Amino acid sequence: MKKLKKLAAMLIAGSVLLAGCGTKPEGSSTSGEPEVAAESNTASEETKSEGGLKGELVYWSMWNQTEPQGMVIEEAINDFMEKNPEVKVEINWNGREIRKTLQPALDNGQTIDIWDEDLERVLKNWGNYALKLDDYLKKDYPTTNGKPYEESVMGSLLELARYYKIDGVYAVPYQPFVFTFMYNKDHFAKAGIEAPPKTWDEFTAACEKLKTAGFVPLTTDDAYVDTLIGYHLARAKGYKWVEELVKDKTNTLWDDPAVMEMAKSYEELAAKGYFSPTVGANKWPAGQQDVANGTVSMYLNGTWLVNEIMGTTGPDFPWGTFAYPTVNGGTDDLTAANYGAQAFQINKDTKYPDAAFALLAHLTTGEWDKTLAEKSFGVPVGSATDWPVQLAEAKDLFGSLKTCYPWAAGIQADTDKLPVIASNFTKLISGQLSAEAFVAEMKK
Amino acid sequence: MKKNKVMMVTFLVPAILSYLLVFLYPTMRTTFMSLFYVENITDSVLKWRWVGLGNFKTLADSTLFMQALKNISLIWLWGGVGVFLLSMLFAVILTSGVKGKSFYRSIIYLPNVVSAVAMGTMWMQYVYNPKFGLFKKVFEFLGLKKLAEVQWTAPEMLFAALVIAYSFGMVGYFMLIFMAGIERIPPDYYEAATMEGASVVKKFFSITLPLLKDVIRTNIVLWSISAVGFFIWSQIFSPLNPEPSTVTPMVYMYQLVFGNNMVVTDRNVGAGAAVGVILTVIVVVLFAITTIVFRDDKIEY
Repeated sequence: MKKLKKLAAMLIAGSVLLAGCGTKPEGSSTSGEPEVAAESNTASEETKSEGGLKGELVYWSMWNQTEPQGMVIEEAINDFMEKNPEVKVEINWNGREIRKTLQPALDNGQTIDIWDEDLERVLKNWGNYALKLDDYLKKDYPTTNGKPYEESVMGSLLELARYYKIDGVYAVPYQPFVFTFMYNKDHFAKAGIEAPPKTWDEFTAACEKLKTAGFVPLTTDDAYVDTLIGYHLARAKGYKWVEELVKDKTNTLWDDPAVMEMAKSYEELAAKGYFSPTVGANKWPAGQQDVANGTVSMYLNGTWLVNEIMGTTGPDFPWGTFAYPTVNGGTDDLTAANYGAQAFQINKDTKYPDAAFALLAHLTTGEWDKTLAEKSFGVPVGSATDWPVQLAEAKDLFGSLKTCYPWAAGIQADTDKLPVIASNFTKLISGQLSAEAFVAEMKK
Repeated sequence: MKKNKVMMVTFLVPAILSYLLVFLYPTMRTTFMSLFYVENITDSVLKWRWVGLGNFKTLADSTLFMQALKNISLIWLWGGVGVFLLSMLFAVILTSGVKGKSFYRSIIYLPNVVSAVAMGTMWMQYVYNPKFGLFKKVFEFLGLKKLAEVQWTAPEMLFAALVIAYSFGMVGYFMLIFMAGIERIPPDYYEAATMEGASVVKKFFSITLPLLKDVIRTNIVLWSISAVGFFIWSQIFSPLNPEPSTVTPMVYMYQLVFGNNMVVTDRNVGAGAAVGVILTVIVVVLFAITTIVFRDDKIEY
């Protein structure tokens, strides 16, 4: 028995030692992290054989192979490999699970040369793993018509990339979106609304006309309900204030008159029956399905909605977009919105940076940028590329944007407070809570 | 004797080694981690920052985490009462010699065969749908207007909806265990009682229930573990952001460790590990209480 105990003790000691060994490589890999820029261009000599690109690239994709974006990207990559026979690209379809899978894989030293996800996410979470791209942006590529890359894409997007990580561009944006009111133009025409509303008063007037014409003016669902309150408060006092408000542990900022005014505005919308009667119980995608079926007129959402519900609407749906209206005495105007993009990043440790960037240029400019926008009914990156007809109104809006809101205009800044805000706001817009009761709940 | 020991060691080593590696080491590491601020789950130990019990304090101050604890206690209580009463009832009925026993047993067990994700989505998007949902249609057909108008997925009803949907699937699972327990009781007892003129109810309370004590205890422990680890159903009912009525500690931990789904927020893996430690303690305490309440006075039969 004693011997057994000894043996067990030895086993434990052994396993701890083993485990200790296991963690070592992790430590050594992180110690090399700060040297980012130094190696960015050293490899370029080796990757260029005479006249052509060379290399084996591994791309972890945020798409699934069967999504329109995934299908176009795969086709485009095949085309790239045909044009550059010495470059081989291996695609690993992660889908949105990449949010959880990528970083552990990178920490583990797995070979991943290119990956993509939301612009803000790639820069904030994975910026330290990415290659600085400023030098590449100044070069021209076969699809940029002799112009440098940075001049052939939407400048505002590269600006946005610099905004999240100020010392340079660490990501290549594509598939841009703007978060805005998506509406049914037929409904507006039938209700006799000539121009989309610009102010809150015009907005409520439009709701009234839509209701009189027999339409349900507004809906939302659990996935997006908080964006309404976020945008409204940001229009009144700016998104930075919204972030302060939700992070305020003393809850005193909720006493601000802007909060009560917002609550009153939405209480009124609810009381007048402008919201869909099921709005309180809507679970995504219930709200957007109502829009697709033509029963509801307006829905605050991203321009990706066109593609997302294409299966129900078909391509001929009368899509329109307008910016969240301004509110009385508010600080923000129509040029502020949450906009962003998906973005590619290149691993700072990649062996083939030239081939990798050439691939990204191939994907985000010229023919394939256009195909991607067409097939996914999304927004192209190239400044010269045509937009899908469904997003014609969004093009003007995109051009006018000056301020970028964070997601939901900052209302999600505190993940502990958000559930309380969302659930009580849902009760407010479904008529279960009065404006006063809503504010009281928020101060608890 | 000596040879025997070598054999024992040979056979035990793989099991002990894998237990230590797969269970003990992660448990210890998680406990250790809960005392540090860790930003990313794959960060090396060198990057951890000592915070002592700070993570536990953060959790205690978080109203959402407290709500999560409250939710699992209520799921445990209300769901538990419902599931145990129903599964016991079904088990007694099905073991009493009704015709088509295996058919009914399969039907009641069926929800467990279907993946929880599929079941949850069905409840969420179809049964509870306020426009064309099963509940709405059935209650309308029965003329129960008030019940047909209930918006099950609205914030004020969502918790009840969650517990009902979850318990629905669990009844079959516990029924099977109860049935096995009842079938183990020798039929002589029932025969003797029947001859003495005991009623069905009397037989249940005097024979079945006392002899099922250890099965009940096992079931309570199983139910407690599943309630404490409540995750999938909560995720399906609130797929994007946690909601006060569906949030559970596991969901909260998931958000702390991997970040929020919609926005890029600060991650705190250390606090996530602290949630894990708290849950482990809860399970151990519940297990201890159940063992004390149902003391093991062995009944041989």
